[in-house]
Amino acid sequence: MTRTRTAWLLAAAGALVATVAIRAAGTAPAQGATPAPVNPAQAVTPEPAPSQPPDVLFKDDVHAKAGLTCESCHGAKKAGGGYAMVARTTIAPMCAKCHADAAYMKTFAPQVRVDQYAQYQTSVHGRQMAKGETRVATCSDCHHAHGIVAVRDTRSPVTPPHVAQTCARCHADPARMTPFNRSPDIPGDWSKSVHAEALLKRGDSSAPTCSTCHGSHGATPPGAESVANVCAQCHVREADLFKKSKKADLFKSMGTGDCLTCHSNHHIEPPQASWIGLDDKAICTTCHDDKMPGAAVITSVRKGFDDLQSRMGEAQAVLDRAETAGMLVEEGKLALHNAAEAHVRMRVLVHTFAGPPFDEVLKEGLTAVAQANAAGVDAMNELQYRRRGLAVATLLILGFLATLFVKIRKLPK
Amino acid sequence: MSLRTWFAERLPVTEVQAAIAHKTVPQHRHTVWYYLGGMTLFFFIVQVVTGILLLLYYRPSSAEAYDSVQFIMTRVPFGWLVRSIHSWSANLMVGAAFAHLFSVLFLKAYRRPREMTWVSGVLLLFLVLGFGFTGYLLPWNELSYFATRVGTDIAGVVPGVGEFILTFLRGGKDISGATLTRFYGFHVAVLPAIATALIGLHLLLVQYPGMSVPPSVEEKSKREGRPVPAMPFVPHFALRDLFGWTVALALLAGLSAYLPWELGHKADPFASAPAGIQPEWYFLWTFQALKYVPAHILGIEGELVAIIVMGLGAVALVLLPFLDINTRRSRTVVTWLAIGALAFMAAMTLLAVRGNRP
Repeated sequence: MTRTRTAWLLAAAGALVATVAIRAAGTAPAQGATPAPVNPAQAVTPEPAPSQPPDVLFKDDVHAKAGLTCESCHGAKKAGGGYAMVARTTIAPMCAKCHADAAYMKTFAPQVRVDQYAQYQTSVHGRQMAKGETRVATCSDCHHAHGIVAVRDTRSPVTPPHVAQTCARCHADPARMTPFNRSPDIPGDWSKSVHAEALLKRGDSSAPTCSTCHGSHGATPPGAESVANVCAQCHVREADLFKKSKKADLFKSMGTGDCLTCHSNHHIEPPQASWIGLDDKAICTTCHDDKMPGAAVITSVRKGFDDLQSRMGEAQAVLDRAETAGMLVEEGKLALHNAAEAHVRMRVLVHTFAGPPFDEVLKEGLTAVAQANAAGVDAMNELQYRRRGLAVATLLILGFLATLFVKIRKLPK
Repeated sequence: MSLRTWFAERLPVTEVQAAIAHKTVPQHRHTVWYYLGGMTLFFFIVQVVTGILLLLYYRPSSAEAYDSVQFIMTRVPFGWLVRSIHSWSANLMVGAAFAHLFSVLFLKAYRRPREMTWVSGVLLLFLVLGFGFTGYLLPWNELSYFATRVGTDIAGVVPGVGEFILTFLRGGKDISGATLTRFYGFHVAVLPAIATALIGLHLLLVQYPGMSVPPSVEEKSKREGRPVPAMPFVPHFALRDLFGWTVALALLAGLSAYLPWELGHKADPFASAPAGIQPEWYFLWTFQALKYVPAHILGIEGELVAIIVMGLGAVALVLLPFLDINTRRSRTVVTWLAIGALAFMAAMTLLAVRGNRP
């Protein structure tokens, strides 16, 4: 079962980049059109056709602002007027004339990169193009041809929130993917992932999109051997623990893609405690059952998560009640925050695939959540005490008022 | 020798006793408004007592102020109650002071020979607002920090001296720990000293000529040829006053226990101002009115014109007894002006509250 799953995962990973960018000859990429704000569900929407002629689009192009003209790329006008099209195979080398020239590029920006063409030549796109396969992506497919804006410009098709949509123009198109035997589902899968949600919904531009894992100019699929290294770019601690764990060698010998075994690749969901365990929904059961070694650790880790989570819920409820009633529960909230932090650390420590380090942090979490709960209960008790005190004080005040009232009524007119 | 005799040899105890015994308060259909002054005084006394208790733990520095208030509310026995009562009482005192001012205005109690009573009363109202403004910053929370910045910005608009006033109030260019310490100084030393002296003067001026009788009651009394009925100050009026104070105490206790005053989040001078920053409710009407002022009026900066108009309004309020020539017609004009001012303040406050709803 593990092998079947891994094979599928590898196939899906390979599909993203191995035959990337199948652009049908003659279907010029949309130019100048600013990608619409995307959400996960729309990440696979094809780009609309260019709305304006090239000379109009070029007015807003970074190259026009740098003093370049139509002739800079197209050469002199033809005898009958108009410019010759640039052949798709010559686009990247043409761009590289300037963009790979460090001395020239430094005149525009001191730290501008000049390795794009070198990277492109190592990519699946570049290697295919070198073989004369013009349906794969070249510079103008991702950056546009006449309305090019800087990558940091929010209108750019390759600024992080727009990258997936740009890749999806080809990679989500069955007509373009089928000739290369690649699945068009990958951008859609990514758009449902925790990464897409972070990038597109929460606006976290550090969240990974296609180019973060596959590279941009040097886009290639990470092989099973290097997946953990790719994930480790951000998930440093998890990767470190995993590499030191006994599972690292085991997964290697099985030829699985390390992280992918449990987390999948594109459709990466937020980790759940339910993934761990020996019941039907748990991922562990892909390899483990309750008779195998490690069953006790798996059960204990799952119980630890469930215990802490349910106690955190109880503590949160009592703190909310106290806070809604006007009590200050800052200390309880701090303790609950510590418990939540322990919960996050426990999730990281799962990558050790061992009980003791996990149990140690679980103990910290349970202590913190007990403190949070106690703070909430104390606050509720204090609230009751205050209300009883107020009731007594009100009775005394009312008694005094009644006495005063009687006294005032008895005063001579 | 009894204690009373011992004091009587040294102080005019007998004379004071006799004066109190003979003191009367006019009794008519508007008598109820007489209690508002005493009510304001009650809230002021509550402020003094709870303020002294808070002083025992409060630390006036930007690093410690918020934490010390939090400590008072969470660790000090009954600290939450003291702080909550102080905050609620401050608001109720402002409300009572405004109600007292308008009742005196409508009953024309500022007329000769009570001009100085009125002037000292209006100055006391300004002091109460000063207490509110300076005290609001002391917990050093997000709301108070940014509301104080907006409030002090307004002072900076005054031509010529605006920059000086702004720097003087803030202790620098922006709100900082220096602002907090000087607001603290104003709140617990300067303003209380002036207020104590003014309250003493105000009470003396109230007692000396006695309570004012509204013109309508005076005219009726003259028409009917009999004096305005009166009741003894002690015990009749004093017991009724005590009744009112006790109701106020019950209200304070209930509000403090069921709607404890929030502390909010600690001020972060480097954070951007949160949405919906507003001053305390009693400054809302000026805050809202300033929003409607056009950028320029007759070539002069609109905000400046508004500040000048409000300043002139405040001066006119102080000098009202000298501006009102005390004819039936002038009194009617004052009444309508007061109704207009009340309606304007209420409308602006409502608009500000509604505008701040999410």
